[in-house]
Amino acid sequence: MSKVIIVRTKNISKSNKEINSEKLNNLYKRGFHLLTGFKDSKNSIKTLLSTDKKTGIKINTIGGRSLSTRPKVSLFLADHLIKGGFQEKDILIWDRTNRELRSAGYRLNMNQGGIKIFGTDSNTIGYDKDLTVHRSIGSRFSSIQSDIISQSISLAILKDHGLAGITAGMKNYFGSIHNPNKYHDYNCNPFVADLFDTAAIRGKHKLTVIDALTVQFHKGPAYHSLWTENYGGLIMSTDPVAADYIGWQVIEELRKKHGLPSLKEENREPLYIKTAEELGLGSADPANISIIKEEI
Amino acid sequence: MKRRNFLKFSAAAGITPKRCLLPFASDLFSFSNESNLSKVEARYYKKLPDREIECQLCPRFCKLGDKERGYCGVRENMGGTYYTLVYGKACAVHVDPIEKKPLFHFLPKTTALSIATAGCNVNCKFCQNWEISQVRPEQITHIDLPPESVVKTAQKNNCPSIAYTYSEPVIFFEYMYDTSLEARKKGIKNVVITGAHVNPEPFKDLLEVVDGVKIDLKAFNQDFYTKYVRGKLQPVLDAVVTASKSQVWLEIVYLVIPTLNDTPSEIRQMCRWIKNEIGPDVPLHFSRFYPNYLMKNLPPTPISTLEILRNTALEEGLNYVYIGNIPAHEAENTYCPHCGKIIVNRTGYLIGKINIENGRCVFCGQEIPGFWS
Repeated sequence: MSKVIIVRTKNISKSNKEINSEKLNNLYKRGFHLLTGFKDSKNSIKTLLSTDKKTGIKINTIGGRSLSTRPKVSLFLADHLIKGGFQEKDILIWDRTNRELRSAGYRLNMNQGGIKIFGTDSNTIGYDKDLTVHRSIGSRFSSIQSDIISQSISLAILKDHGLAGITAGMKNYFGSIHNPNKYHDYNCNPFVADLFDTAAIRGKHKLTVIDALTVQFHKGPAYHSLWTENYGGLIMSTDPVAADYIGWQVIEELRKKHGLPSLKEENREPLYIKTAEELGLGSADPANISIIKEEI
Repeated sequence: MKRRNFLKFSAAAGITPKRCLLPFASDLFSFSNESNLSKVEARYYKKLPDREIECQLCPRFCKLGDKERGYCGVRENMGGTYYTLVYGKACAVHVDPIEKKPLFHFLPKTTALSIATAGCNVNCKFCQNWEISQVRPEQITHIDLPPESVVKTAQKNNCPSIAYTYSEPVIFFEYMYDTSLEARKKGIKNVVITGAHVNPEPFKDLLEVVDGVKIDLKAFNQDFYTKYVRGKLQPVLDAVVTASKSQVWLEIVYLVIPTLNDTPSEIRQMCRWIKNEIGPDVPLHFSRFYPNYLMKNLPPTPISTLEILRNTALEEGLNYVYIGNIPAHEAENTYCPHCGKIIVNRTGYLIGKINIENGRCVFCGQEIPGFWS
C-alpha cells in the first residue's frame, strides 16, 4: 500500500505573494511526521534519505516568478533535511538553467559551503556526453542528475498541462535531460514513465513533494491567474506514481469545482501515470493508495 | 576503391570533403550564453486566446502556451508572440563540394557554403547529425552570422551556392529565407537539404527564393515514419510533388536501412510513384546507412542491397539512379540514359570530366536535365 500525504493550510499565501513561513514550516513538519511516523526531523528524514549522500532537489522554474517552485518552498525543504542530519554542502537545489532559477527568485550559489543552487547550464556542469538510451528515451542527462547527486527529491509545482494533462513529480524530470521537447507527443505517454524508469532517476529518486500551494488547474503550464487556486497544500510520498495520481485528482477536483470538463473529456488524460504503474514504478490504483489528508 | 584507400587517395590528391569554417558540435555542451539567442518574430503561426499560439510551419502544428518551445526546440512562445531563437545563429559553417549534399545535377564540381543552426522538427533514430539537430540552440556553440555575412562568406570562399543543411533547415525558415533573398541579389544560388516535413504554404514560399532542393524520403510507408522518424509521410510526398512542379531543381535521397526500409517491393512501389508523379528524370540516390545515434544495433547497408535497389529503380524506368556513401562505386557516375556512356565521372568528391554541353550529352546529344551552369 502506497502512502500519500496531503497537508493543507489556509491563507498560506496569495498568488505571487509572500508565503507565510511559519505555516509552510508546519506543513513540512506535519507532512514528514505523517509520512514517516516520526515527529522529529532527525528520525523522519533518516527514514527517507541517507543523510551522508549528495542530494538533489529538482525544482521547476520554467513558469517564472508567477508559477515556479518558490525559493522559500525549496529552502524550507532543505532546512528540514539539515535538521534531519544533512550537511548544507550536500544539498543541491537545481533546474535546467540559471536564467530560469534567477527569474524565479533564486540566488545562485556554487560555492563549496552552503546549500548549492545552480542550473545545468552552469560552467563545468552541462549534460553528459553519452546518450542514455532506454525504452522510448534517447537523451543526455544533466550531469547533476547522472553524476553529482546520489539521491533525488522531485519538488515540482502542480499544474495542468496542455499536452501532458498534468505536470507534477515525474514530469519534473523532463528538466533533467537535454531534449524534453521531443517527448510531448501522445500526451507525453510513455515518455514520462520511460524517462523515470532510467537508472539515473529510478535509482536515485527517494521522495516526491508536490507544491500545491497555488495550483494551475487549467490552461497550464503557463500561468493564468484566472485558473489558479490557492490550494495551500503539499503532497508528499515516497511513491512517485501515487503522488502524481493524487496530484491529478486534485486538478480534476478543482476543474470540476470551476465547471471545467475533465482531462479525459479534453483528450489529455495523463495516461503516463498508468504506464508508470505498469512499469512497476508505483501505484496508480486508488485501491492501493492510502491517502492521509490533514488540514492544519 | 575501399573507403580507407579512397580517403588516403583524396588526401594525397589534396582533395578534402570540406573546409571547416566552424566545426559543428566542437564544443558541445559547454553552453552558449542563453541571452545570445535571437528574438526574431517567427513566420507561419497563429495567435490563440490566453497567450497561446499554434505553429503552422510544419505538420506538427505545435500548440504552445507561454514560455513553451515547439518540438524543434528553436521556436518559443514568449507572452503570446512566437519567436525564432536561431535567426543568424549558425552552429555549423563549412565549404562543401555540392556533391556532398548530394546534388549531382546542380552546378557539379563547385562548392557550396553550407550552414546550419541547431534543431529539427523530427527525431530520426538514425540521424547522422544528431549532435546539432537534436539539441537546443543554447546547448551548442554558435556564431553570429546574419544573412549578409553568410553571403559575404560565400563570396569570399568562391562558393556559387549556399546550402541550408546538416540539421533541418525548415526550422530556421526565417534565417534561410532572408539569406536566400540576400544571396540572390549577389547572384549566388541557394539549395535546401531537407526532410521536407513542412506545410505547403511555407514550402511554396521557400521555393520562390531557392534554386535547388534535395529531399530525404526516409521510407515509403507511414509506419516507418511513425516509429523511426516521428513524423508524417504524406506532407513529405506532397512537398516532393510541389518541388517537382516548381522551377527549382529537385533530387531525392533514400537512406537504405537494413531490414527496416529495404524491401525491393516497397522500393518498386516508390519508384512507380516517383515516375508517375514526377517523371523519370529526377535523380534518386540510394544512400548507405552507417550505425549512429539511436540505431547502433544495425550493420551498415550491404553494398549488394543498394545495387539490387538501384537495379529495381532502373527497371522501373528511372533514368538517374545513384548509390551514395560508397566512394568510387560505379553508380556514383552519371550515365547518359540514351547512349549509356559516362557523362559525369565521380570518385567520391573528385569529379572528372563533365561530358555535358549546353545541357546535352556530348556523345549523342541526349538532353540531360539539371542545373549545369
